[in-house]
Amino acid sequence: MAYIDQKKYYTNDGANPTDLNWGSYQYVSLADIVTNFLLMYSGNHSLVNNEDRFKILFHAKRGIQELNYDAFKEIKSLQLTVYSDLRFVLPSDYVNWVRISLFKNNTIRPLLENIQVQSALSYVQTATASFTYDADDNVNTQTSTLDSSRQDGSLNSIYLNQANLDQDNNPPFNEDYYDTYIGARYGLNTETANMNPTFTIDKKAGVINFDSTMANEQCILEYISDGMEGGDDTLITLNKLFEDYIYAYIKYAVLNNKFGVQEYIINRARKDKTALLRNAKIRLSNIHPGRLLMNMRGENKWLK
Amino acid sequence: MINSVRNTVLAIINKNNYGYISPSDFNLFAKQAQLDLFDEYFVNYNQQINEENARVSGTGYADIKKGYEEVIDSFSVTATLAQNAANVFTLPADYYIINKVLCFSGGQLKGEAERVSQSKITLLNSSLLTSPSVTYPAYTLEGNLITVLPVSFNGATDITSQYIRYPLDPKWTFTTIAGGSPIFDQSQADFQDFELPIDDANDLVAKILQYAGISIREGDIFKFGQVEEQMQNQQQ
Repeated sequence: MAYIDQKKYYTNDGANPTDLNWGSYQYVSLADIVTNFLLMYSGNHSLVNNEDRFKILFHAKRGIQELNYDAFKEIKSLQLTVYSDLRFVLPSDYVNWVRISLFKNNTIRPLLENIQVQSALSYVQTATASFTYDADDNVNTQTSTLDSSRQDGSLNSIYLNQANLDQDNNPPFNEDYYDTYIGARYGLNTETANMNPTFTIDKKAGVINFDSTMANEQCILEYISDGMEGGDDTLITLNKLFEDYIYAYIKYAVLNNKFGVQEYIINRARKDKTALLRNAKIRLSNIHPGRLLMNMRGENKWLK
Repeated sequence: MINSVRNTVLAIINKNNYGYISPSDFNLFAKQAQLDLFDEYFVNYNQQINEENARVSGTGYADIKKGYEEVIDSFSVTATLAQNAANVFTLPADYYIINKVLCFSGGQLKGEAERVSQSKITLLNSSLLTSPSVTYPAYTLEGNLITVLPVSFNGATDITSQYIRYPLDPKWTFTTIAGGSPIFDQSQADFQDFELPIDDANDLVAKILQYAGISIREGDIFKFGQVEEQMQNQQQ
């Protein structure tokens, strides 16, 4: 393998996509990681010997996955319209969310996660509270009233101050007793003070549920993946700042699972791995003087 | 080299008129002896690696392992494997050890296939992270057939192997029999010299003497061959 020339970098030699190689120099490919490890850290005179390649590959991928969960700052974004079902189906490579925003009137409005339950399964019940069953003896289900009330906008929420007496100038005599007094409070609850739509993530169902005010709005999901690129090994890459770490991680993972390796060797490998991860995280944190300067500019602001 | 080995063997055997071995018997013993020494190269190579790991081996001219590698590599062959079925390929008849199986697609090298045991391949195929892919193919061995995975490697010229072959059978050839003795003639079409290096001639003689000693029921010759071989091994 050779380094690509600048023409290929900028234009991909005219082949589509022409921007394929932009920024690629920051990364080292999975193929390089496995090859380099087998060449440099494995063999007759190395600590790691006689290991199947698929084990090295496994540990390399697991290491990359772990890095994607926290150490990397590889945040993906997906914008979709939320329709009347008030659902945003999670992307196929979704692992965890970073931020969910409403994009409206050319403004990005970060949304709050609703801690109340927003969606529920409901069983069909008879008048005697017993369940009904289908031909396969599974209980019959239906749309819960919680879901339907959320979708039609009738569901009350603590986030919209609907039970706050201060919000409504009308005297509470004609309102529901429960809504008004039980659990109600006077003044603004800053914890839930939010006029934007709210959401809850149903991880098992693979959807984000919104309240009814999100209908037909644009939603931007910022999320992290595990870096496995849908199973395409050729696309899996790792930031070069973590290259030494991933070798140390593989070495540690192999030695730690091998029979008869002395404990001091495993400990050495573990310390190597931990120290290199710390170094790489510091490198990637990118504390630039320019950024600090920007943050500190407000320090000497004159108050008029 | 084969003629000098034969002459030496005959000289030792005939010293006390113990007997005579015919060219066909000699060829059989020579083949067996060469195979024995060929096998020993791999054992010795491994032994040498262990010595290196124990730091009792040197570099430069003291690098014994290098010599073993050179001999073993002299039996290296790279060949395109014949297709048997879609992703099943036939190994060459003369292979001793498969060293590499390279997978091509459209004439381009995609990856080196890793040998996976039959007991692991089903699990490997069901693994999300490590199932065989175009970049990381795998193969299993059954008889003289290898099955390459993923199945996309199914072209007639998709699989190339680098392997170590068995040495060719040595054959001491002759044309005429003058005065009761066959005369060596290496111009015969089926002539085949030993393929091992010249410094193995002593070992070959010792080995052949052992087989010949058993053949002609002369314990002294067998023992002589055995002692010779032990001495050679100690020197190494």
